[in-house]
Amino acid sequence: MSRRPLIGQRSWLRLPSARIALVILAVVIFLSVFGSALAPQNPLTINANALFQGPSAHHLLGTDYLGRDVLSRLMAGTRLSVLTAFEAVAIGLVLGAPLGVATVFLGKWFDFAVNRVSDALMTLPYIFFAVAVTAALGNGLVQAMSAVGILLAPGFFRVTRAATLEFASAQYVEAAELLGATKGHVIRVHVVRKVLPTIAVTTAMAAAGALLAVSFFTFLGIGVTPPAPTWGGVLSSDLDYLSQAPWAPFIPGALIAVTVGALNALADAFRDRIGPGALPLPDPVIKTHSTLTTSHPEAADVRQTAA
Amino acid sequence: MVALIEPTFAAGAVAPRRRRARSAAAKLGGGLAVLVPIVVLSSFITYCLGALSNSNPAATILGQDAATPAAVARLDRALGLDKPLVVQYWDWLTQAVQGHLGVSYFSQIPVAQSIGQRLPVDLSIALLAIVLAVLIGGTAGTVAAVKRGSWFDRGVTIACSIVSTLPAFVVGIILVVLFAVSAHLLPASGYTAPSAGIGPWLEHIILPALALALQVAADIARQLRTSLVSVLDQNYIVGARVRGLPYRRVLVRHALRNASGPALTILGNDFPIMLAGAVAAEVVFSLPGLGQLLLAAAEERDIPVVQGVLLVVATFVIVVNLVVNTLLAWLNRSADGVSA
Amino acid sequence: MSGKPPPDEALHIQDLHITVHDGAAVAVRGITLTVGAGEIVGLVGESGSGKTLACRAALGVLPAGCAVSEGTISFGGQDVTDLSRRGWERLYGTAVGAVFQDPASYLNPNLTVGGQLAEVLRVKQRMARADAHRKTVELFAAVGLHDPERVFHQIPAELSGGMLQRVMIAIAISCDPRLLIADEATTALDVTIQAEIIELLKDLRDQRNLAVLFVSHDLALIRELCDRVVVFYAGEAVETGPVEEIIDRPRHPYTQALLRVASVGDFQRRELRVIPGQPPQMGEDVVGCRFAGRCPAAIDACRSGPIDLLRLGPGHQARCVRAGDPELEAAAEAELAAR
Repeated sequence: MSRRPLIGQRSWLRLPSARIALVILAVVIFLSVFGSALAPQNPLTINANALFQGPSAHHLLGTDYLGRDVLSRLMAGTRLSVLTAFEAVAIGLVLGAPLGVATVFLGKWFDFAVNRVSDALMTLPYIFFAVAVTAALGNGLVQAMSAVGILLAPGFFRVTRAATLEFASAQYVEAAELLGATKGHVIRVHVVRKVLPTIAVTTAMAAAGALLAVSFFTFLGIGVTPPAPTWGGVLSSDLDYLSQAPWAPFIPGALIAVTVGALNALADAFRDRIGPGALPLPDPVIKTHSTLTTSHPEAADVRQTAA
Repeated sequence: MVALIEPTFAAGAVAPRRRRARSAAAKLGGGLAVLVPIVVLSSFITYCLGALSNSNPAATILGQDAATPAAVARLDRALGLDKPLVVQYWDWLTQAVQGHLGVSYFSQIPVAQSIGQRLPVDLSIALLAIVLAVLIGGTAGTVAAVKRGSWFDRGVTIACSIVSTLPAFVVGIILVVLFAVSAHLLPASGYTAPSAGIGPWLEHIILPALALALQVAADIARQLRTSLVSVLDQNYIVGARVRGLPYRRVLVRHALRNASGPALTILGNDFPIMLAGAVAAEVVFSLPGLGQLLLAAAEERDIPVVQGVLLVVATFVIVVNLVVNTLLAWLNRSADGVSA
Repeated sequence: MSGKPPPDEALHIQDLHITVHDGAAVAVRGITLTVGAGEIVGLVGESGSGKTLACRAALGVLPAGCAVSEGTISFGGQDVTDLSRRGWERLYGTAVGAVFQDPASYLNPNLTVGGQLAEVLRVKQRMARADAHRKTVELFAAVGLHDPERVFHQIPAELSGGMLQRVMIAIAISCDPRLLIADEATTALDVTIQAEIIELLKDLRDQRNLAVLFVSHDLALIRELCDRVVVFYAGEAVETGPVEEIIDRPRHPYTQALLRVASVGDFQRRELRVIPGQPPQMGEDVVGCRFAGRCPAAIDACRSGPIDLLRLGPGHQARCVRAGDPELEAAAEAELAAR
């Protein structure tokens, strides 16, 4: 064989589930940008003559309690969900990851303090925290998702801290330096191989959690002004009229589930890339043994925010 | 013949137990050292959130017309709002520990009372949910591990993947559709206290509890399966079988005991998720619980209620984590940490 | 051989064949051996020779993919070759006990060692808790553990390898089995501890008429402990006989080479000797003697067809066409004389 295969043996794209997941996510992201423009109908148009209709040629996913086209509403609502979920993950990553690296090098007391703050944040269920934050800062989705972002940070923090600890004390670092590699080279090569995949897993799971969170918030009516369409909002109104259309909630429910499932599958593919042995056991929130442990926390720490 | 030293007094026999007990106590002490800052920080964050939510509570309470500067100042003093934040926090915390969580700004009902009325609802659901999660997740994970590679195992893995994508509110709605609307088997809403009859009480809480439990059950099942598969490959399982112990006993007393650590940790870590799901369940099933209380209070900027609910919830999480930690320590008497 | 074996034989294996990799290869070919009451029989051979598999088959714990394809195994007259899991559960502890190479890994790390033995007594002999505790301490004392009452409450991580092996032996004999199978039981221990364990086994044999199947690759230990020896090579028994015969007058070239390499018996070495070549792959079919490729004394007859066991004396057999060959004997004696 003279040509190298397009997808490497160890690449995470090797798994079929990962490729399907990637396609799904690409569609979702595409919709978040162009959804409103591409929707077959105006998501806001009320049609009193066509309430609770089932799927038809005209309305591919039927109509809701005000006769609005469900498909269009869902397509238009994608942007809000995706953008705010993205915001939450970004906040979590930016807050958590650098701190995770920093605490390894900035002394025991700093490490202790930051760890306790991280643990304290993990004791607060995200919904309660987010509601309190919206009470404090205003009833907006941005505020609520910032709260989610803050609560995602401990997950990123623990993961990067553990990876940095392992890396800092690894013998192969010493060995590489003895062989003449520069510190920069060592960091580049080994950090990329070790730490990035772990962060990738955490990011994928955080995104899944954030998406569930935003669905929940819009379901509860936090931070959205009707009649703007959102995935959770569609689900909520379906609940109100359950007796008239018991099949209705399955549609937005399936949409949420499929997207979250794709993110989970992606996380699994990344995890696969790391290898079976490298992902060790989860750490409890209150650890009674040494906090300077070299075990990676399972990315489940990040699932804190999933509802 | 190998020389024997006569066994001396029984105190020698206790030494290893005492030594282990002492190291367990040391760990507990270390746990407290970690716990206290967490509790303080958690409650402080809680307090600050509440305090920040309303920059001028006195004005809000008095209403627009009556909020003259003098009246506001007077009310501030009465409510203790003129003291520095940390002092306010400390007063609040000390009062809270004694069970006094303040009084709602608007309804004048003591916060503790409002919470007390609604707590049993969430408590019932959360406890039943934990039981269900452990039963369903534990059984599924165990059977999947024992029959690894079988269609059951594969089915469980797929089911876990699907369920973990379904948040509690979606599951709740599905359950309502399936069991209440279509089949009319169980009530779709409402709550009756156990004092009014165990039957109706169970009927009302089983669907919400199930909605909370499923996602956590999936996490538990997945982790337990992985741990158990790894434990079952260990030599000491062969050792136990070769001693003639019946398989069921080996499975439970040796394999599961050593394999359940990580799954237990997952339960502890997922408990906040369960509580969040409880809010979802309250909405879907129209239950008069703490979540509804919080949502209403947040909208009105009723600070003491917000602070009180958050504190109670955080306390719950910490208590559950402590219980999990104790169980973990009991399960794993060998080295620090988990054995599989 | 025909008919049922006499009931005072603790273990009888007849023409055992074991396949591995779900039947793809034959790893053990036609092993026949007997362990009588109060007898200690050694199984010696290199890794991969099949001795561990034979051992595991005798215990009913063959790894996945391995199976007994032919032959029978029986304990004291009872055929256990196709025994169910329940059947084995009944036999374990009461008919046969086992100790393995790494005792720490065969004990539950989170339970006390005393508790694990007492558990066996409570479950298999329905003893009350206090009685089981007392009997456990007695057994610990019987296997030579200092301060058995204290050891009862310790977890495996707190005990040394030698102590743990004693614990394993105590557990294995706790329900008075007739047979003890020891699979490389001393391999992972210090030399001084090895000697102590060997002494312990001999004492147990004397006190309880315990039959022992002792698997090892250490010929010196075998010579110390065993009454009879079975030499394994490439899945076959190539020589069996009383230990003095085998050690002092080995007749099969492989046994001779093994002794030479191990520097046991009269074959003292002056330089490091190795057996050139490699044993055949597991399951590989070889026409004729499976050692012929490495044997310094091989002739054409060795490669022409299957070699049977040649009887050389009371209880002494060798799978070699040249075993009774006076030339071979003379060469061996010359070598001995030259040292």
